[in-house]
Amino acid sequence: MSHPTAPQLLEAVGLFLKEAEAALTGRLAFHARVAANVVAIVVRELAQDPDAAEARALSPWGGGAAVCRALREGRLDPQDPELLAALREAVLARLAVDNPRYATFERLKARPVIAR
Amino acid sequence: MASSRPDAERRAARSNPLDPAGPDGRASLERLLAQALGQAVRVLRVTALSGGASSLTWAVDAEASGAARRFILQRAATDAHGLPRGLQAEVMRRAGRLGVPVPPVIAVTSPDHPLGEAVVTGFVDGEALAPRWLRQPEYAAARARLVEDCANALARLHAAPLQYWQGLPLSGGSGEELLHQQFETYRRIGVDVPAFDLAFAWLEPRMPRDPPSVLVHGDFRSGNFLVSHAGLAAVLDWEIPHFSVPAEDLGWLCAQAWRFGQWRLPVGGFATREALLQAYRAAGGRIDPEELHVWEVFANLRWGMSCLVLADDHVSGRVPSVERAAIGRRVSEVAADLVHIIAFGEL
Repeated sequence: MSHPTAPQLLEAVGLFLKEAEAALTGRLAFHARVAANVVAIVVRELAQDPDAAEARALSPWGGGAAVCRALREGRLDPQDPELLAALREAVLARLAVDNPRYATFERLKARPVIAR
Repeated sequence: MASSRPDAERRAARSNPLDPAGPDGRASLERLLAQALGQAVRVLRVTALSGGASSLTWAVDAEASGAARRFILQRAATDAHGLPRGLQAEVMRRAGRLGVPVPPVIAVTSPDHPLGEAVVTGFVDGEALAPRWLRQPEYAAARARLVEDCANALARLHAAPLQYWQGLPLSGGSGEELLHQQFETYRRIGVDVPAFDLAFAWLEPRMPRDPPSVLVHGDFRSGNFLVSHAGLAAVLDWEIPHFSVPAEDLGWLCAQAWRFGQWRLPVGGFATREALLQAYRAAGGRIDPEELHVWEVFANLRWGMSCLVLADDHVSGRVPSVERAAIGRRVSEVAADLVHIIAFGEL
């Protein structure tokens, strides 16, 4: 394994961006903050693999792309509780990476969809 | 005057307009304001303000016939998605005559003006940062009356018949058509977001088929208000007005993205849906909760589509930007919101 690892490199970039933000103003300071946030997303994504989580949750229908196609072609009912329960799992896995502080993350996590 | 300049110079102005804060920009601004006001104007100070995603904004302190005057100059960014500035200004003028609180339009420039395509309005005092007026105690009284102010502004805008907007090249469509437009954009970008397809499928049989009956602001949300201690001082950002039905504006105001964490108050983080519908009815409009709900689902999907479109600006190479790349991951926020609102009937 490389030393430092990819997440360790990204954490270093994140620290630098925090420092840069403090020294910048206006648009550049804002972009430094956004960039630090992007780095934090990538660190979480390397640890969590949300693509795999989505594929797992939606595997009964053949995965994410197949669910999209079936909904587009009217072969899946958007109010099917089994589907909604699986989509809940899939969106939570993505949000845990992209923004775990988003208010709906805790709300949705605390409220399971009751499947048949 | 601008029309006598050679084409090459006009093209240069189009791609590289003057900085209003620089000496040439200030001189140009003085001429523009003098012409608009019909009196001599001296520009004293031009200050860059933080702009939205698609505009550049300056505060202009000036002196006209000895009196201090303050203006706002807004230029369209070259990578903007909205209507031309001149058209926006005309919609604002007409909305103002209906009694909708808007900043007074002073001057409009075309894309070949040395300052670029821009609008100058009178300065309206108020707080534009929603997280401030949503949380700070000195805005408590303003927050308490804001739902009524918003309902009044919308009811006045929606009371105008379609003929009122005659001569303006604005688009629009039925709810169903607006949904189909979003779906076309979604397929053009070509990514697969299961929660978006869920929402498209849920909305398809529910979107109204009636033709558009009014002009909607199209972006009526907490981030586009100027709020004073007395309430709603002005409605800003007339970038995407279009023909639709009134419930679209009310549903948009309820989208999760502009509650700024105050999700228990679904109307922009400051009121309940019941209070909004009641105030809208008191102001002469009428929308039922079921219709509002459908438009609220549409609003969340439309916001998610905006995230996707802005992210695609970066991914496609049109506008390489860390901000636009990052906004792509906000799709996950909207995906969670859409699953919540469809699974549980509320958000």
